[in-house]
Amino acid sequence: MSEFFASPFFGVVLCICAYAAGLWINRKTGSPIANPLLIAIAIVIVVLLTFHIPLESFNQGGDLIAFFLVPATASLALSIYRQVWLLKRNFLPIIIGSAVGSLVSMGSVYGLCRLFHLDEVMLYSLLPKSVTTPIAMDVSAGLGGEPSITVAAVVVTGIVGAMLAPSLIKLFRVGNSIAAGVAIGTCSHALGTAKALEIGEVEGAMSGIAIGISGILTVLFAMALM
Amino acid sequence: MKSLFQVGVVLTVCLAGELISGVLPITIPTSVVSMILLFVLLLVKWIKPRHIEQFGDFLLKNMAFFFIPAGVAIIEQFDLLKECLFPFLLICFVTTIITFAATAYTVKAVMAVQKKAREGRRDE
Repeated sequence: MSEFFASPFFGVVLCICAYAAGLWINRKTGSPIANPLLIAIAIVIVVLLTFHIPLESFNQGGDLIAFFLVPATASLALSIYRQVWLLKRNFLPIIIGSAVGSLVSMGSVYGLCRLFHLDEVMLYSLLPKSVTTPIAMDVSAGLGGEPSITVAAVVVTGIVGAMLAPSLIKLFRVGNSIAAGVAIGTCSHALGTAKALEIGEVEGAMSGIAIGISGILTVLFAMALM
Repeated sequence: MKSLFQVGVVLTVCLAGELISGVLPITIPTSVVSMILLFVLLLVKWIKPRHIEQFGDFLLKNMAFFFIPAGVAIIEQFDLLKECLFPFLLICFVTTIITFAATAYTVKAVMAVQKKAREGRRDE
């Protein structure tokens, strides 16, 4: 049986079924908390724990899926290119918004970590949590954090962003697709961007731009801290 | 053949992104370098949207799916996170909302300032 679970097909098929179930539940309930990705992750974790399947076996297939993260992020260039006139026209608001957002993200993490008396390792692990996983891991390791905690924080942050994005746009009365897109990308990287793409083409493209800008700025801000 | 060509173009850009990311003095990951590189290649029209559209849109439409393995890997950190689960989740929640609001309002504020500046110039 363990050979069956270690087949790369197992991980891939499990992910596709779990994601299909997530999409179905999301459509049925229409609730933002029923995020398809969150449901899919939960289903896969429950299956792995129930059948005592080691993570390495699942990752035979999981790694094949994760391989597409780089081309998927690169493809954001296509959606940015389709909205390039918006980028040219709103260059300053986008750059300044992303920069302020990145600083506020790191500042608020710092403040809350101090408030909860978390140690330095936890602080440095959480500091870069709003940017895309590979950048966050590098920044965390460079500062002296624990990259595995950072990955967990990045994913949780991304899911929170994707889940809350539509409500936050209403709550804060954003009423502007560009501002909404930049905000989603700056606070919740590619995971939020996946949601932004569902909200609209402009939101998706702006969110994609924000991933790049906030990612690079976070590296620079972190270098100032080192 | 056409779809294989599209996959080839996107993956070639990623390969070039990996090379560039390796020689950069600061750590910018392959994914972000590849995104910037592909954007530049589209701008200078070496790559046309039709060269990558089908594969690119497939990836964009299913973006969330590709994050499942990264999310599942959280089970490795269960023990580490158990001790401070509450502050951990609270920090992820609260800072995401604060960051969203700060970014959205900054973008709108800068837009408003620019609009005023443009109108001011028109009045002169």
